[in-house]
Amino acid sequence: MADKPLWRQVFDAVDRRVAPPVEAGASSDAFGDLFAVSWRVTRRVQRGLERRSRRVLHLLNLPTATDVRRLTEQVAAVQRELREMQDHVPQERDVPERR
Amino acid sequence: MSPSLAPGAVLERVERDVERALRRGRNGLRYAAGTHRPKVGQTPKDVVWQHHKTELWRYRNDDVRHRPPVVIVHSLVSRSYVLDLYPGNSAVAFLLRSGLDVFLLDWGVADAAEAANTLETYADEAIPAAVAAAREAAGTGDLTLLGYCFGGVLSLLACARQVELPVRNLVLMATPVNFHGMQAITNLVREGRLDPDDILDTTGNVPPEVVENAFRLLKPTAEVSQYATLWENLWNDEYMEGYQAMGQWTRDHVPFPGAAFRQTVEQLVRRNALMEGTLELGAKRVDLRAIRCPVLNVVAERDHIVPLPAAEPLPALVGSEEADELRLAAGHVGLVAGRAAAKVTLPGIAGWIIEHSERA
Repeated sequence: MADKPLWRQVFDAVDRRVAPPVEAGASSDAFGDLFAVSWRVTRRVQRGLERRSRRVLHLLNLPTATDVRRLTEQVAAVQRELREMQDHVPQERDVPERR
Repeated sequence: MSPSLAPGAVLERVERDVERALRRGRNGLRYAAGTHRPKVGQTPKDVVWQHHKTELWRYRNDDVRHRPPVVIVHSLVSRSYVLDLYPGNSAVAFLLRSGLDVFLLDWGVADAAEAANTLETYADEAIPAAVAAAREAAGTGDLTLLGYCFGGVLSLLACARQVELPVRNLVLMATPVNFHGMQAITNLVREGRLDPDDILDTTGNVPPEVVENAFRLLKPTAEVSQYATLWENLWNDEYMEGYQAMGQWTRDHVPFPGAAFRQTVEQLVRRNALMEGTLELGAKRVDLRAIRCPVLNVVAERDHIVPLPAAEPLPALVGSEEADELRLAAGHVGLVAGRAAAKVTLPGIAGWIIEHSERA
């Protein structure tokens, strides 16, 4: 403690008083409820914006977030199928790779 | 005149403060510019097995003095280089110096292709395959499995579901089994405020930012304290190296595969199924009492991510005759990185493993 500069001693004293109630608040039911509501509202707003912008973007022949999401899902599904097929094909063990 | 006001002492102090101010300026500029970041994960290794994004690494060691080898199973939400942070601060290097043959199972970075990965994918497929590959590479019949954090949960599941898995010893570090003991981090999903699907992104996984923010919310003022400590030690090159490496790791989470996350929330968090003995995977009950090998449960007293009540009950849940606990005055990351790890945690773990091994 004696080695610490005065500003740090003051900071630590304040932190010791402030941190416990802030941590308790962040893990409280009230904060959880508020966070969950704001999360859902944000998601809903994003989806609403996506819906509204979809028509405009499609008119301009541009992909929307939904299009990208669908494509991602399809690519992932193809990748998974490919992996399943690979897993059924006996493979020679790779030569160890040096790192 | 007091000693501190002696002209020599004053001059010495002024010189020291000027020197520190100069170093502070230099290190501050380097930090802001993002240059001089320490290189992480530098211990030489070879990839001995690979399946999609999962890789099993074997660290090079010309001085293996103990058998069987150790296979480390890392968590699903963070980067494995925390176990091999940088030279001088590496859990892996410590185990190598202790004469152990060390492997590490790294899950890679999940994307949409991994979104369908379930807990079974890891516990029933990846870990047994990696264990087989490690045994073949090391030429041994069995091995020591070491799970860290959620990697410990996966290791437990693998050993409980495949009783024939040749695991001689099981070491679990900061491994949650009583998810009701993780009140803070599970707050948003435990009581249905958010459903798992609300959290998944377009790839079907939990985005790394969500993982990072969940950890940040556990100690909201910690970041400010860290900046204060940074300012205090900005002159210290050694401190800066550690701070930057650790800072990089804490901001470097990976997506949590969506299907495994759903199971984690529904079974482990909401039903506390590991603790209650009601966990079912693939319509098969998971019985932790099927684990009979010696178990070491490493718990950290200051762990705010996996607090003591979440990790402590483990020895009582397994069927092992020998289930030891190593309780350490450290935090979650302090178990594997930093000065305390090198002085206390890692010697304790390596010592237990060596006691349960034989000369090579």
